[in-house]
Formats: sequence, C-alpha cells, structure tokens
Amino acid sequence: MNLKRRNGPRVIAALILFSIVQVGLQVGLAEPTVTTTATTIVPQVVGRLTTSNNSPIQVNGLSAATGASILSGATLETGADQSATVNLGPLGSVEIAPNSKVVLTFDDQGNFKALVMFGCVKVSAKTNATGEVATDQGSQGKTNPASGGDLEMRYQPGSAPALGQGVCRSPGGAAPPSDSGTSGGLFGLGVPATIAVVGAGTAAGLTPLFFTDDQNNPSGPSN
Amino acid sequence: MLLRVGAGIVAIVCCLLLMWTAARFGYARLLGKYAVAASSIRAADEAVALAPADAEVHRARARVLNRLQMPGEARMSFETASRLRYRDDYLWLELGRTREELGDTTAALAAFDQAVRYAPYYAHTYWQRGNLKLRMGQYNEAFDDLRAAAASRKSYVPSLIDLAWGISRGDAKTAEQLIQIGTDQDRFAFARFLAQKGKGKESVEQFRLLVAGSSDENRRALVRELIAGKAFREAFELWRPDPSLKPPVILNGGFEDAIDLGSPDSTFGWIVFGKSEAKIVRDESEKLSGRASLLLGLNGNWNAPAETITQTIVVEPERRYRISFGVKTKDVVTGGPPAIAVRDLASNQVLGQSEAFPTPSSGWQTMRFEFSTTPGTQAILLEFTRVANACSPCPIFGELWLDDFVIEDVTTVNSQR
Repeated sequence: MNLKRRNGPRVIAALILFSIVQVGLQVGLAEPTVTTTATTIVPQVVGRLTTSNNSPIQVNGLSAATGASILSGATLETGADQSATVNLGPLGSVEIAPNSKVVLTFDDQGNFKALVMFGCVKVSAKTNATGEVATDQGSQGKTNPASGGDLEMRYQPGSAPALGQGVCRSPGGAAPPSDSGTSGGLFGLGVPATIAVVGAGTAAGLTPLFFTDDQNNPSGPSN
Repeated sequence: MLLRVGAGIVAIVCCLLLMWTAARFGYARLLGKYAVAASSIRAADEAVALAPADAEVHRARARVLNRLQMPGEARMSFETASRLRYRDDYLWLELGRTREELGDTTAALAAFDQAVRYAPYYAHTYWQRGNLKLRMGQYNEAFDDLRAAAASRKSYVPSLIDLAWGISRGDAKTAEQLIQIGTDQDRFAFARFLAQKGKGKESVEQFRLLVAGSSDENRRALVRELIAGKAFREAFELWRPDPSLKPPVILNGGFEDAIDLGSPDSTFGWIVFGKSEAKIVRDESEKLSGRASLLLGLNGNWNAPAETITQTIVVEPERRYRISFGVKTKDVVTGGPPAIAVRDLASNQVLGQSEAFPTPSSGWQTMRFEFSTTPGTQAILLEFTRVANACSPCPIFGELWLDDFVIEDVTTVNSQR
C-alpha cells in the first residue's frame, strides 16, 4: 500500500511530462515552414497612380485608386467623372483627363510614351527624359530631353489629333473652387447656410431651457 | 441654502462650458467638412483654430491642402492628426501617401509601417505598403505585403497577378514565384490570366497543377480564354476528349455524330449558327459514306453565309493542307453559288477556297482545294462563302448536302513534286 502511495505521484508526474512533451511536439510540427526564396527582379521604373478624389479608375481592366503601382504597358481608362495622374519619378508624369483610354509605356533609358486610344493626356517630361504622345496613327510629338517640357493631346478615333497647350481643359479634373469666389456669409458658406448654422447652434443651445422643469408653473406636468 | 445655490450655479456654469465646448467642437467638424467639400483653406484654418486637439479637423485641413497642391503643409497637418489619433490606420496611410508625394519614401514607409502596426489584420494597409515597397525597388518585401493583402482580401488577387506579371516582364515562372500560389482558386485565376496573355503552354501547365479545381466548367472556361488569347493549340489539347486526337483534324467531318445546336461549349467541333433563312439538319437519308450527311435548305435569303456552320481547325504555320469534302446539290438556283473557304483565325485573311458548288443539281461528288498557312497561322476557320461579286441582292433556293470533310497535310507531297 505504501509502495503504491509512493509511486502514485511519480506516475502522475511522468504522465504530465509526457503530455507536455506531446503538446510541445505538436506545436513544433504545426509551425509553418517559412520559405524565404528571394526572386531576382530586374530593377525598373514603377509609376505611382493618383486619382481625383481617390476614386478608382481602370488599370488593365482592374480597379485601381491612389497609391497603386503602374508598370510599363499598363492600360489606363478613366470614366466621365474621373481623372488620374501617373507619376513616373525621374521621367516625369502623365495626366489623364476624364473619358480617356491610354496605354502607358516607359523604360529605364528615360523614355516614356502615352498611346492615346481616345481622350486627352498631358505628358510632362523632366530634363534628360523624353515624353511622347501617340495615337494608332503613330507618334504625334516628343519632348526635348535637353529641356524637358509638356505635351498635351486630345484624340478621338476618326478625327485628327489636336496638340497644343490647353487642348485638355482641366485634365486633372474640375479645378478646385478658389476661396476668392465665395458667395458671402460666414467663411463663404453663403447667407442661407450661415443662417442655418447659426440658427441650429442657437436652437441647440437654448433647447435645455425649453425643457426646464419649472415647479412653480401650474400648467407644468404633474408628477 | 447658500451652498445649494452655489452648487447649482457651478453646475450651470459647467453645463454651459460643456455646451460651449461641444458647440465649438461640432462647429469645427462642420467647418472641416465644408472645407473639404469647397476646398476652402480659410474654413479649414478656422476649424483647426476652433478645435486644435481634434484630429479630424487637421485631417480635413491636410486634405484641402493636398487638393490645392500644397503637400508640404498637408504633411504637417497629417502629422499633427496622426499624433492626436495615433491608432487611426487611415490617417497613417494618408500621411504616407503625402510623404511619398513629396519624395520622402523612407518617411512614407515609416508611416505605412505604423498603419500596418495598428491594423495588422486588414488588407488595405499591407496593400498600400506593398505598393510603396514596389516603387522603392524592394520587390521581394513588396510581394510579401501584397500576398498578405491578397490572402486577406481575395479581390486583390487579380491585381497581385497583374503586378507580378508586369514586374516579371511577362515571365510566367518569375510571376508564379512572386505570387506564391497557395490555393486552387488562385492558381485557376493565374491560369486564366496566362491564357488571356496568350501564354497557352504555361496556362495549361497551371491548370494541370490544380488539385481539385479542374472541373469541366473550369476547363471549358479556360478553353474559351485560350481561344480568346489565340492559343489555339493549347486550347485544343485541353479541350480534346480523346488524347489520341491530333491536329489537324476536322471533327465529325462525316456528320456521323449529332450536331449540338447552340451548345455552350462551342469551341471546337461544328458550330451551327441559329438562322431562320437556312434550314440546317443532319440527314440520314442522304450520305456519301457512313450513316448521315448535313443538309442545308435555302429559301431565298442567305445573309452572311460565313455565319452558317463553321469549325475551328488547329494547324501548323507554313504548311500546305488539302481539304476534301463531298457535296450534292438539288435545284440550287442562284447567281452566287456557295463554296467552302478557310480563313486564318489570327489575321482573318482568307487562305483558300473551293470551286463553286455545282448548280442546279448534281449527284455526290468530292471537291478538293489546297491552301498554305502563313508563319503566323495557328488555326483556321472552315466556313461557307459565295462565289459572286456582282450579285447583290443574291437570293438562293434549293438544297445541298455535305459529307466526309477531311483535312490532310500535303506539304511533303507537294515539295516532292
């Protein structure tokens, strides 16, 4: 009997140890294998998309908004109320107006091209980069790498492309309204809006007074 | 009594103060919203002056400044907002984007790191950080983040594939390594993407790696994608029910098997266009050989004869082929008799055409014509045409039967001649 009592704790301890080892082994086996196989990629220019009001446009048929990466050969399409800018870092940038479809190609040699299927683009090339606008009829113009510069083109299939400054009216979307053209009232809110804001504030401030429980008022609600 | 009055006054003052604070706060928010809507920097400044400890009004001011192309000042406002509400991942993302706009990618990455830190289980933070790393040239780290985002939100998978394809410059193996496909669903999406890009071989390889997703429905969908991507040979290999079928072959050339009218699987085999003007039926009462032939009954109009019955045939480029078939006509009256033509499916160029069918009536006779494929030809379309240039309108009446279509590669035979 004594022998049994002496061995009891040992057996329990052995079982507990065994269980812990089992759990430890299970956890060890269940651990995910981390594979860190680095893939070799040729360094390349990657553009950055910015869209008006962060509303998504179509890039290669997929939805993309501000912060998306644009790779050479991407097809960008904007809707009626959308415009976009692709920042190509050392090369320059391309602004795409609403209702446009553009295939954008660029390389590491400082060349970039906006092939306009339809719509309007503005290409801005930095110094030592060459920006180009083209249609299905061929190249329509290039910037001078010595000075950089802008090229703006509007094109609709079936008509001749129009080049020149201003052919894309506000390519980056509707121009933000300036503060100078305010319509009066507080901070340019306009008179009706100012009255509404002040009135609402006054009403909110006075509301507690209307609900004051005046015990001397005989017409007040009785408890 | 005095104490009660005093306490009441203090309570009222406290309430008034709280009301005033709440009103200022609410009004500042209202101004902030107005500032963003109207791009008014004055309203944004006033909002900040009213509630300088409110992150939302600083964010509103920053957004207005960004819209007014003043990212330098916007950055400062976003930084203030992030300090005030440091657990807001969206604020960190906006700050990161603004910093990147200013060219400070290292600081932008630090902001995106904070966004990931405070929203580690959401896809958008990883996606934004991954895109930034991609632009910074940290490709493998970028794809770690992009994959994490796509694993969390499946709608990112097509964009992940598209980015991997673009960054690998169209190399399927490298793209696959970057995507690190883990599920059948993603692998099938990659297979379809490759098919759309005309990478038929690689697409079929991916499809064959599917563990449980290679259903007939998926197979048909991929065959259609391969054909749309002009990868005809791979489409045929994936489509063929019998591996012993080797191109070039005209399937069911003797019309021994039933023709499935309006089948959704209209890829290879006869495709019959549903037209009221030409009666098209399989006829077991007339045949050159076997058990049946194809009957076309014409009752006057026959617009777009090419869209009557067609078959896509996979061929080799720069080869010479001969197509033979049996034809029988009965009371065919027309100024533009029918013929059979073949067209390059890639370029749409007519490669060859038979002689006009005999009119008005003839017994069964075998017609043959030869054609050569171009260096770019992968598949041809067998179709009807009409031998008539000055016939418009061109009514046609009568019946004709077709049977025993066969295609042969005669390149060697002709070169020996």
